[in-house]
Amino acid sequence: MLDTPTTQPSPPPWTTLLVTTLKDAVRLLPLFALAVLASTALELFVPRDWVYSILGQNPLLAIPLATIAGILLPIPRYATYPIALALYQKGATLAVVYALIAGEVILGALERDIMEFRFFGWRSYMLRLVLCTVFVILTGYALQVLL
Amino acid sequence: MIETLLRRTLENLWSYLPVLLVALFVSNVIQSRRSARVMDYFLHGRVRETLVAVSLTGLLTPGPLAAYLPVLKALRKLGFRLSLIAAFITSQTLVGPGRLFMEVSYFGAWFFAYRVVASFAIALAVGAIYALLERRGMAWEGAERS
Repeated sequence: MLDTPTTQPSPPPWTTLLVTTLKDAVRLLPLFALAVLASTALELFVPRDWVYSILGQNPLLAIPLATIAGILLPIPRYATYPIALALYQKGATLAVVYALIAGEVILGALERDIMEFRFFGWRSYMLRLVLCTVFVILTGYALQVLL
Repeated sequence: MIETLLRRTLENLWSYLPVLLVALFVSNVIQSRRSARVMDYFLHGRVRETLVAVSLTGLLTPGPLAAYLPVLKALRKLGFRLSLIAAFITSQTLVGPGRLFMEVSYFGAWFFAYRVVASFAIALAVGAIYALLERRGMAWEGAERS
C-alpha cells in the first residue's frame, strides 16, 4: 500500500476544523472583499442594458467570453460568486454565469498548475486546458438551449 | 458615490459571509473525514479501469486538487493510465461539495445539479479523448519522471 498524504489515522477534532475554517476565511477574505467591491460597483454603476447587450442578448458570443474571463480572472474559488450574482442580477443568463464559474476553475492556483505541469508534462496540461475550455463552452451552450 | 459604494459593499459582504463560512467549514469537514476513505478506494484499484468511476470519485472528492496531485503522480507511476488521471483532475476541479451552498443559495438547486452533470460529462469526454490518444501511441512528456 502506498503511503499517501491523504491517509489519516483519525479525523481532527471539531475545534481544529473551526480554526482551519477561520484561517481559510481570513486568507480568502481580502480577495473576496475585493470581488464583492467589484460586484457592487457593477451593480451600482454599470447599466443593466449594457450588461444585457453583452452577456444577455447574444449567448453565442457571451458564453465563450465569460469562459475566457473566468479563466483569466485572478481570483480564488468562491470569490467568483459575488461577481457572477451581480452579472445575473444585471441580465446575464444562467448559461453565462455557468461559463464564468466553470471557467474560473480551469486554471487553478499557481502551485497546483506547476505541480500538474511537472508531474504529467506540458502536453497533458495544455491538452486538458484546451479540452476543458471547449467543453465548458459547449455545456454552456447546452444550458442556454435548455433554459 | 464612493460612500454609497463602500456602504453597499459592506452590506453585501456581511450578507455573503455566513454562506462563505458554512461552505468553507463543510468543505473542511468532508475533506478531513472522507478523503482518506475515498483515496483508499481509489488506490486499491477497484475503479482503475472505468472512467465513470474515476470521474465520479473526482466529483465527490472535496478540497484543493494540489493535495491529491502527489497521490495521482504515485498512481501514474504504478501504471494508472493518464486518461484516468485527467478525468479525475477534470471532475475534481470543476465542481465540489463546498460549492453546493454558494451555488444553490445564489442560483438554485437546478443550476448546481446541471453543473454536476455537466462536469461529469466533461470529465468523461476529456478522459475518452486522452484514452483515444493513448491508443494511438501519444507520448506524454514528463509522465515517466520521478
